Amino acid sequence: MNIELRVNEQDFRLVVEPDERLLDVLRNRLGLIGTKEGCGEGECGACTILMDGKAVNSCLVLAAQAVGHELMTIEGVGDRLHPHPLQKSFVELGAVQCGFCTPGMILSAKALLDRNSQPSEEEIKEAMSGNLCRCTGYDKIVKAVQRAAEEVAR
Amino acid sequence: MDYFRPRSVEEAVTLGQSPGAAFLGGGTDLVLQMRQGKVNPQCLIDVHNLAELKEIRRNGDVLELGSMVTFSEVSDSNLLQDSARALWLAGQTMGSPAIRNQATIGGNLGNGSPAADAIPALLALDAEVCLRSQAGEEVISLAVFLERYPLLAPGTLIWKFLVPLRGWQSGFAKLGRRRALAIARLSVAVALKTEGETVMDLRVAFGAVGKRAFLSPALAARFIGRELDVHWRTEMISGSQELVRETLKTRASAPYKAVAVGGVMHQALMLLQE
Repeated sequence: MNIELRVNEQDFRLVVEPDERLLDVLRNRLGLIGTKEGCGEGECGACTILMDGKAVNSCLVLAAQAVGHELMTIEGVGDRLHPHPLQKSFVELGAVQCGFCTPGMILSAKALLDRNSQPSEEEIKEAMSGNLCRCTGYDKIVKAVQRAAEEVAR
Repeated sequence: MDYFRPRSVEEAVTLGQSPGAAFLGGGTDLVLQMRQGKVNPQCLIDVHNLAELKEIRRNGDVLELGSMVTFSEVSDSNLLQDSARALWLAGQTMGSPAIRNQATIGGNLGNGSPAADAIPALLALDAEVCLRSQAGEEVISLAVFLERYPLLAPGTLIWKFLVPLRGWQSGFAKLGRRRALAIARLSVAVALKTEGETVMDLRVAFGAVGKRAFLSPALAARFIGRELDVHWRTEMISGSQELVRETLKTRASAPYKAVAVGGVMHQALMLLQE
């Protein structure tokens, strides 16, 4: 089937299977491999992207369901020369180790900061509760989100 | 496989007549089940964005909740916080934020999981379900609806829920292996009407105890007409433990759940609004 997706402020015309997951279309058809597949069942959050500014698990959404929505993947958040405050703080505070969970972490954190620029520690933990990290122990991730929130507020 | 995105409930119901049709809500269960090969629909009818199914509104003394209202929308609603607190609490604790942004209350019912979080809350709140099919509309009490096997006839769309606004207090609590894990191991919803300190009416529902969520009128009956005091609470906790023990009998989870339900009931009672 023919669909149009809007990803990172760009429009794409694509031919997809009706049962094709958004995750697979982003990675395999659009080459946006920053979005990762971990568990493939909505438990780990590695595939988190933003749909209309809200975090969703792209492994549980069909590409066809994303038509008409504004999508953002990690590639749309910032780049090497212009990192988002979250990307900067994650690197600076050692919140990135193997990095597999990081794109999903950043997008969940961005969804939070975009609606609540000064979250409490509890609110940060709640917002990130669907994202698993097996390296860091989470402490540095929470601190990185706090640091980014301070920078965004400034 | 075919995929349709109807523009109205009418059109969705007409498309629902196609052989092998399945209605697609947020997809958090169905997309996974298709991938695992547990279901193989020939035709998907995507209703998750239908405006008619996304309304939360007060209509006189009834709250109308479209089936495609997401758990995030439930937990963000002040109206629900004030008037259907058990459901509002269920909306806050279901899954992770990303799951809540997609998953819908209608999908929660249609998927038929024993652990569906919204269902005990809607049972305690005495909700009715409105269904639509080619045959027309059907309004049925959720408690009665849950006795149907299979739950939904082919081509039947869960349209909306009607929750009576009676000024009752309600609460909900659940036990999960991990907070953001989608599946409740055990859940309890309580709704009650008081006059002064006396409990005038009461509905108690349980989830993930047996195949489907259920109400226990027998348990509730023992606590109506009594003062809502510490004895009431203590006996309600032990009463729910007995009930779960009897319901689960020799199941492997029985020794654990029959004890654990006491804590979950305690929490649900603590969360009753003033």
